[in-house]
Amino acid sequence: MSTVVIRPASSAWIHVGDHVARLREYSDLLYTLSAHRVSVRYKQTSLGFIWAVLQPLLMMAIFTAVFSVLAKMPSDGTPYALFAFTALLPWTFFSTAVTNGTNSLVSHSQLITKVYFPREILPITYVLAGLFDLVIGFVVLLAIMSWYHVGLTAQAWNLLPIVGLLVAWALAVSLVLAAIQVRFRDIGVALPVLVQILMFASPIIYPMSVVPGAWQRWYTLNPMAGIVSSFRDVLLRQAAPDPEPLRMAMIVTAIALPLAYLFFKRADATMADVI
Amino acid sequence: MIAVKFDAVSKRYRLRGPAGRQRRHEDFWAVKDVSFEVAQGETLGIIGHNGAGKSTILKLLSRITAPSAGTITLNGRIAALIEVGSGFHPELTGRENIFLSGSVLGMRRAEIAAKLDGIIDFSGVEPFIDVPVKRYSSGMFVRLGFAVAAHLEADILLVDEVLAVGDAAFQVQCYERIADMRRNGTTLLFISHDLGSVDRLCDRVVLMNRGRLVGAGTAADVLAQYQQLVTGSFAAATADAAPAAAAGAAKILDVRFVDEAGTEVLGTCTGGALRAAVDIDIATPIHDAVVEVFYYSRDGRTLHCQQSTAVTNETVALTPGRRRLEFVCDGFGLQPGVYSVGGSIRDRRGAGAIDWWYGTRLLHVEPGKSVRGYFYAPHDWRWADAPADAEHHPANL
Repeated sequence: MSTVVIRPASSAWIHVGDHVARLREYSDLLYTLSAHRVSVRYKQTSLGFIWAVLQPLLMMAIFTAVFSVLAKMPSDGTPYALFAFTALLPWTFFSTAVTNGTNSLVSHSQLITKVYFPREILPITYVLAGLFDLVIGFVVLLAIMSWYHVGLTAQAWNLLPIVGLLVAWALAVSLVLAAIQVRFRDIGVALPVLVQILMFASPIIYPMSVVPGAWQRWYTLNPMAGIVSSFRDVLLRQAAPDPEPLRMAMIVTAIALPLAYLFFKRADATMADVI
Repeated sequence: MIAVKFDAVSKRYRLRGPAGRQRRHEDFWAVKDVSFEVAQGETLGIIGHNGAGKSTILKLLSRITAPSAGTITLNGRIAALIEVGSGFHPELTGRENIFLSGSVLGMRRAEIAAKLDGIIDFSGVEPFIDVPVKRYSSGMFVRLGFAVAAHLEADILLVDEVLAVGDAAFQVQCYERIADMRRNGTTLLFISHDLGSVDRLCDRVVLMNRGRLVGAGTAADVLAQYQQLVTGSFAAATADAAPAAAAGAAKILDVRFVDEAGTEVLGTCTGGALRAAVDIDIATPIHDAVVEVFYYSRDGRTLHCQQSTAVTNETVALTPGRRRLEFVCDGFGLQPGVYSVGGSIRDRRGAGAIDWWYGTRLLHVEPGKSVRGYFYAPHDWRWADAPADAEHHPANL
């Protein structure tokens, strides 16, 4: 028979082993909820899953019209539509995951004050559910690539660990913002602006080559810089990803995720009291 | 083997001062330095006023919130028998929601699949199980949510006022489910205002008052202590040098409902006649006694009280021996339902009660005179604008 010790809020968060063990016990909930997010996302919409294709396509069209046709933004010699879509793929995943993940606790406050389960499951399931749209978006990208006669090479396998990094970084940001949002709803209000700022701080509408060399070191502190540029390296340049920004993204994420988790678990203990 | 152990557990809430002022916190201890143990297979009742800390104990046990100090040790899987409709997604069908809320409660998918038929059966919403729950009535919603929780396999079960859920038939079903789990050796923690149920179900009871544990022991002892607490504040205000009531001077043996022939009945119907017979064993004479019978709702509110003095305003003298006192009511006013019953004897000149009784007995009220509102009161009607001779013959007009 399993023994559980419930400790005071002030010391509970430090028992990381307990948290991870409990999360594993609830792996079925993680699966059920993630699948549920996907199946519910487009319920009672007439276009259904077509929206998963339509959304990034519309974004791509607007970006191409504004930044390429009007603003004459350089795109490292690639057609701008393809250039933009390749970056929008990881970016849309990140912004959707962070927006949903941040609000996930507050939108489930009824549940949090009634039932116990590891609270990090809520942001995690939103991040994982985003992978579904990412896969659909990737299929659309393949279609656009073949339209522009850009082939897929073995370099594309590099995407798997890069997507892993993307998920880890989105999770770290979601965990921190979600935990703060429980106490201070300011986060929810500031989030759209924050996401906009992060987008302009990442090489989405412009290539990373336009960032001055002296700024590169600071610029790549944002893991999305390394992640997005690696997507372009692997798919459009068909080369191995540029190691410098990618390494920086990995270091920042490797430090941020464990700290984010501890920060979240610290708030977790008394979340139901303040939500 | 100890199933649950509370070791010096405290829970503090920070109350914020008025807005605009400087940040000032006021501490409120919802639970303060509480220690108790529950043996495996035991049923423990937790009673106390509203705000005494009962619900906080439940929240701590079910891990919804963490204590501020002290540790709680649980041996075995814990589950709370609560209504989990809030875990439902309106767009999903009843069947899909069973899986969803089952996993939220910590069940494995395989476990839910194995129990699916039982859950659907228990909920009684089988014809609509593949309909999105947003089309459900609120009653169906609650029953389905409850059915999932009732099928949790747990070594320790928390029950908080289940009896307020659903209609009478569903409540009986829930009671049976709890009884089943007790028979299988599940440890039960029961939090309730319904003292009759506590008396009936619990091996041991703890009493909470203002966040502290003030009493623990057998149901009979602690319930008596609780009544002292309830009447204590009242008594303190009225005890102007009056002699304390002699505890043990008289004892209520039973409160039963009988018909005119004296045969025991389950109850009455709304607007029907009710006789409540109180059997008393008197040890020493009491010159000015008050005998009362209370009727409680399942959430512990006192709905009605029958009192010997209020009826006749005569002195009720109790002489040693066994006596039976009957309250007779021609038009009993409570709406259809099931009520708990309690009785007391007081000395009108003394403070506090001589004896309190919580029955195992329930009063059943069947539908009778059709009324709307909270209760029935005997009434008549006549035409007020008619000639005097026609007054008693409204049909003639």
